[in-house]
Amino acid sequence: MKILVIEDEESLRESIVVYLKGEGNICEVAGTYWNAMEKINLYSYDCILLDLTLPGGDGLKILSEIKNLNKTEGVLIISARHSLDDKLSGLEMGADDYLVKPFHLSELKARIMAIVRRKNFSGSNLMSFNEINLDLLAMEVRIKEKLVTLTKKEYDLLIYFISNQGKVITKNAIAEHLWGDEIDMSDDFDFIYTHIKNLRKKLVEAGAKDYIRSMYGVGYKLENV
Amino acid sequence: MKLAQRYNRANLITSFIILTITGVIYYIAIHFILTGKLDKDLVIEEKEIEAYARNNGKLLSPGDFLHQKVTYQKLTTGQTIERNFLYAEFYNEDEKEIEPGRSLITSVNINGQNYQVTISKSRAESEDLIQLIFMITLAVTILLLVSLLLINRFVLQRIWSPFYSTLGMMKAFNIAQKEEIRPQLTKIDEFNELNKSANAMAARVRKDYRELKNFTDNASHEMMTPLAIINSKLDSLLQTGTFSSEQGALIENIYTAIGRLIKLNQSLLLLAKIENKLISDVQDIDMQQLARDKALQFQELFEKDRLTLEQEMQPCNIRMSKYLADILLNNLFSNAIRHNHSGGSIEVVLRAGLLTISNTGKSEGLDNQLFERFSKSASSEGTGLGLAISKQICTLYGFTLTYQHLENRHQFLVKF
Repeated sequence: MKILVIEDEESLRESIVVYLKGEGNICEVAGTYWNAMEKINLYSYDCILLDLTLPGGDGLKILSEIKNLNKTEGVLIISARHSLDDKLSGLEMGADDYLVKPFHLSELKARIMAIVRRKNFSGSNLMSFNEINLDLLAMEVRIKEKLVTLTKKEYDLLIYFISNQGKVITKNAIAEHLWGDEIDMSDDFDFIYTHIKNLRKKLVEAGAKDYIRSMYGVGYKLENV
Repeated sequence: MKLAQRYNRANLITSFIILTITGVIYYIAIHFILTGKLDKDLVIEEKEIEAYARNNGKLLSPGDFLHQKVTYQKLTTGQTIERNFLYAEFYNEDEKEIEPGRSLITSVNINGQNYQVTISKSRAESEDLIQLIFMITLAVTILLLVSLLLINRFVLQRIWSPFYSTLGMMKAFNIAQKEEIRPQLTKIDEFNELNKSANAMAARVRKDYRELKNFTDNASHEMMTPLAIINSKLDSLLQTGTFSSEQGALIENIYTAIGRLIKLNQSLLLLAKIENKLISDVQDIDMQQLARDKALQFQELFEKDRLTLEQEMQPCNIRMSKYLADILLNNLFSNAIRHNHSGGSIEVVLRAGLLTISNTGKSEGLDNQLFERFSKSASSEGTGLGLAISKQICTLYGFTLTYQHLENRHQFLVKF
């Protein structure tokens, strides 16, 4: 997967690149408007992360340039502007998603994966992790052809884990992903434990290995055992 | 008391007093002048009588006088008469009535014999004149007072109308709204000056307010970037190696604090946005559906604290922003959960035009400050902005959000 990160804040850009790299992913970066324009004209990507406030120009202009070039890249806008208008105009202009800063890197990764999936498999939408197979259109989870019944939240959680496999995902990020960041939740995210426990139980009972591990009390990780 | 009324009163009282005094002076002056004229006429008659007596040695016959009466009376020797003008009655023989008159009593000497002479003249004419003048004065006075009253009532009202229109606009002045004070056009300098000052002041106040708001807005925005960096660095840090549970606990604490800071910042930005009416996706909201969705969304949080949820929902459609409707319900629901006790209950009742969310919790009621920004109980972990935002959303759409403590339950009512 080839990703272009257009973000002027170097520190943030670096974190994103480090998080996204690996597993055969390649990241390129652009820190200014002109740099970004040059890259989108020269190369092709699977997904472009686009910050709207850039030195040298408006990020939305880059978006329209991408569309003018008839490029098929997925575009995920990352903006500090929590503005409904920006979001709407961004999506109207052809962006695939809009993520407001600050965000969890795990959320960013999950969104990118979703965009790339939608772009690449326009028919059947399948996802898998070892013996766990997901049919995203039918919203079904099978383990060695055996159907596993999950609740909506458990299903979302599983996709989130697979999208961020090998990474520690914080409870905070999971809570925001499943319940939305508008909810003014208590700061105690331990109730997530129940959901993770149920998911693990169901997967193991269906014959999968127990891939999800608790990490230092901060979060969880899905990884090969 | 209104200015016009006050001015009217002073005006009328002064006019009345001055006109009365003028009337009296007028009356006295005219009376004096007319009496003087009568007296002069009487003196002419006296001279005539004296001249006739001197030349002819006898008295003029009383019948020879027109418009006046003359009587003679023989005086005894040594008796003298002092010459004197006096007011007396006058018998008008033509009209056969007694009229007010003026008399001159004097004496004339014919051949050593003194006669008392009384010359009388009717005052009726001059009295009539005085009366006429008095009537005219009275009429003028009344006319003047009435016209003053009318002028005050209608002209003043019209003259002052720009003032009242400006006043009305100043009363309706809203710092958050963009409408200017648009005064009625007037030719009166004072009002123009007032309008100019009012507008200048409004502009200044707005500018200060805007600057303050921009400052808050910018500060919140600027803070978001470092917060985003800290958040991403923490996420990155977590991937770098193995941590002890002790380190894990520290990292979690940092996450929590950052999370709160982000939440706080977002809330401040949201408040500013609602105040600036920057959220415009107004649409028909099926409140029943939305409330059901929220109940489902919060289900795990209810379960966590073993809260029971009672719902009683009827169809209710509202026109508002979907985004804000979401936030409103989120805030009210999370409030009911946050301030509940373990094993408590939440009751959501939706009727056409009224949403009630009540919850068990602390036994004592909350104070009136609860809708203020950053007002929260010491034990609360929230930002203290949730209810302020809810209130602001309600105000934006003309809903009312009220709180009451009833039968040991905390109840929030939204009247749509």
